[in-house]
Amino acid sequence: MLDMYFTVRSVTPAQKGRDALNRAGVRCRMLRAPRAIAQNGCAYALAVRAVDGQDAALLLDRAGVETEGAWQRLQDGSFMRAWV
Amino acid sequence: MIYLDNAATSLQKPPQVAQAVLRAMQTCANPGRGGHASAARAEETVYRTRSLAARYFGLEPEQVCFTANATEGLNIALRTLIQPGDRVVISGLEHNAVTRTLAALGAEIEAVKAPLFDQDAWLSGFAAALSPQTRAVVCLHVSNVFGAQLPVAELGALCDAQGVPFVVDASQSAGLLPVRPSDWNAAFTAMPGHKGLLGPQGTGLLLCRTQPAPIRYGGTGSRSRDQTMPEDLPDRLEAGTLNVPGIAGLGAGLAFLGAQDPAGLLGRERELLRYARAGLEQLGARVWSGPGQVGVLSFQLPGKDCEETAAAYADRGIALRAGLHCAPLAHQTAGTLTEGTVRLSLSVFSQQSDITAFLNATKRILPLA
Repeated sequence: MLDMYFTVRSVTPAQKGRDALNRAGVRCRMLRAPRAIAQNGCAYALAVRAVDGQDAALLLDRAGVETEGAWQRLQDGSFMRAWV
Repeated sequence: MIYLDNAATSLQKPPQVAQAVLRAMQTCANPGRGGHASAARAEETVYRTRSLAARYFGLEPEQVCFTANATEGLNIALRTLIQPGDRVVISGLEHNAVTRTLAALGAEIEAVKAPLFDQDAWLSGFAAALSPQTRAVVCLHVSNVFGAQLPVAELGALCDAQGVPFVVDASQSAGLLPVRPSDWNAAFTAMPGHKGLLGPQGTGLLLCRTQPAPIRYGGTGSRSRDQTMPEDLPDRLEAGTLNVPGIAGLGAGLAFLGAQDPAGLLGRERELLRYARAGLEQLGARVWSGPGQVGVLSFQLPGKDCEETAAAYADRGIALRAGLHCAPLAHQTAGTLTEGTVRLSLSVFSQQSDITAFLNATKRILPLA
């Protein structure tokens, strides 16, 4: 389940981040960020498995992709800020 | 028609360019604006071209910004760097895209003059012109009138040593010569997508190694609640709906070029240029040529007006361009401002038979002089 969301400000860094994760073998889906975690209006999110969260954060940082936040999707569909 | 006006725009493109344009028109919605499949397809189309360009020019994808043409890119670069009264050093070969923009900005322009094909003289001229008051240096890579190549790598090093931002107009070199903004320390490098890169008209690239100031404001699909333009590239420069079909076509052009042997393409064009020059000189034409010349050849036929010369070629199915080529400063530098020149310019699709036909037409046109 892809329940860890990294928010990214716009589509280009999101695509760059997605490619970096894919290259490293981290399963990832790029999507429009749900309103609840799009803190400044429209944004994109990269969803990964929670177990990959630490690796994903490191890979995104290495790729120069600045994330706005990391979020854990809970079973009721809400989000809780995650610290990775 | 024999098309030898590629410095204006390339007309012959790989067939996959038009196919990509059509496919994008039929399948792509607005990139970065929605989560549905057709928006996602547009996003991927745009990102593919951006990534191809980034690889081609040795940059990161976000440093590649789409513009409508090289002129728009140069406007962004110059409006970012120049304030009224700022002193700007340019080559004496610059296009109106540079000179008119600087004039509109109220810049104090110093144009370096040198023999067209003497790269050392250009470099010395720039070195002498730079001063602590210089706010920017702007230089084309290859002259759109004479095909003269300027030493942008060395100029970039000179600017870097003096802490002066360097702007390169790669309009005539992109797709033919290596364009390496990082190696040149270029703050901005502007180019059209529709010339050597073989994309459609209405496309261009601005390669940014410095944070630019936007000249267009509006929606970017990001940080929507902010009423200032995003700091992030490329969004900062890409307000409004992008030319997705054009960008798709440009991507196909870049992919085509990426599969070629760049040294082979350049060598072939230079060989054709030498053939044209030798033939013209044999027929008594005045020809501007020299070491390092790339893709473009200016000439005059004795006693004949350049516009009438080009019209005579057009009557024979040969497309050339005459006049001042939107670069009066270059003609002033070369001493051809009054009479202008006729310009022949090549592309990767130019053939030896095109030059032979051009020279045969020249033989027929000359007696009319």
